[in-house]
Amino acid sequence: MTEEPYRWLEAIENRREYVREQLKGGSPAFAVRLPEGILLLGVGTGSSKVFELFDRHALVALGHPADIEKIRQAAIDAAHVEAFTRASEDVSLRRLVSFGLGPQLKTNFEQIFSAPFLVELLLAEVAAQPENDLLVRLHFDGAFQFLSSLALVVAAQAATESGAQTWLNQSLAGKSARAEVVDLLLQAWWCLTENKSFVENLPAEEERRRGWRAAVNGKTVEIGWLARRSPRPARFEFLTLTQAGL
Amino acid sequence: MSESISVAGDFLSLLAARHIPPVRSEVSTDAPVQTQATTVFAFQFADGVLMAGDRRATAGNLIVSDRIDKVIEIDTCSLLAIAGVPATAFEMARVLQTSFEYYRRSQLQPLSLPAKVRALARLLRDNLPMTLQGVGVVMPLFAGLDQAVSPPKAQIYFYDPLGAQFQAVGYAASGSGALTIRSVLSFQERYGEPRPSEMGLAQAVPFALRLLMTASEFDSATGGVNPETRNFATIKVLRTSGVETLSAEQQAQFLQS
Repeated sequence: MTEEPYRWLEAIENRREYVREQLKGGSPAFAVRLPEGILLLGVGTGSSKVFELFDRHALVALGHPADIEKIRQAAIDAAHVEAFTRASEDVSLRRLVSFGLGPQLKTNFEQIFSAPFLVELLLAEVAAQPENDLLVRLHFDGAFQFLSSLALVVAAQAATESGAQTWLNQSLAGKSARAEVVDLLLQAWWCLTENKSFVENLPAEEERRRGWRAAVNGKTVEIGWLARRSPRPARFEFLTLTQAGL
Repeated sequence: MSESISVAGDFLSLLAARHIPPVRSEVSTDAPVQTQATTVFAFQFADGVLMAGDRRATAGNLIVSDRIDKVIEIDTCSLLAIAGVPATAFEMARVLQTSFEYYRRSQLQPLSLPAKVRALARLLRDNLPMTLQGVGVVMPLFAGLDQAVSPPKAQIYFYDPLGAQFQAVGYAASGSGALTIRSVLSFQERYGEPRPSEMGLAQAVPFALRLLMTASEFDSATGGVNPETRNFATIKVLRTSGVETLSAEQQAQFLQS
């Protein structure tokens, strides 16, 4: 009996390794705060990566489609019940993640006899003012960070995710045209999927651009747009590459 | 992650699982004098469906407000016009708005028009105890875009208080001023030049405003339209491209031109 705690710790560590192993090869996804709204981008092969959650809220994810579905559904359920029992304005990403999704993911992760969720998520909430926009990085173990950076990346490995994020935040500074932003995100996506380093020997811009254009052949580029201003409550819409200006 | 629900994408099932009643319908023998909303109507015009309502709410012989909106955008391709008790009707509208958006977001496809029409019928049936008691009676009109036909077409539905649904051929009206409105619409559709279904927006809007002016001549509960006091109607138009709300300024311009 005295060794039970050690078994538990080992089991947790094993689960962490298992999840990370399963997520390897997942297609990275992105969110960028812009003056006119928040842009979310993912590249999928057969299953969606970008989803509308509520009027001002959206989600991008990588991982197992069935697990993404469960979390998406839980978020949509919670948001709509909240909106119905209170008001649409009361649906907040901070509460949704802090008191709903985060604790549920943590509980699931620590129940070592059930299958863990194979997901990494990024959630966005558009506000009336750009400085009040919220981006949240939510991990498979329930850990989450509310971030105020310009761009956020969700990738399978923490080191490459961080490198891509730093590069994107530098490259996107001062850029607000959606076409430019989407092009840069797809360049970052190609570098991540090709395991190119963002620190040294980063391929030239032309090579990156050629790279993503060739790589998205046969895949679906999903672009979600959360408009800051709209006559309708639901701010989310899907854009095609052409609509995004590419 | 979420509690199991009986019907995928059904918001009412989700509320039931969480023990939240969508519309309360307790029976009381001591019901107060109810606020009533009248008069609403919808007709087919050349671009789609025009749905309009006066802005008066009454309680007995009292005017409660001359500024309420009885035509409500439920989603980008559905409109609801309420006649009856606003307390119940507005709640029904909120249930529908949340239900339709919940379905669209959770199931990744919009709800079909027949399902939307039945969703309102279901709420009316759930409101039966209040209806039978004579309090909380709601007789709404519904307009939705039928995407199953090509090209998509806006359709009008009306209901009885028990929840039976009927598709209107060209027009429908509800509320205490409905008889006048229906009579004029029937005359115009049969003998008018142009018929409502042939009118463009520039003709349909003044026609709708004059219908309300006429109804208010015969029904004290119908607020009517008074350009001098800037008191216009609530008018929304449903086209294949979606819903458009016509502001008081736009209505004034159409009435003058």
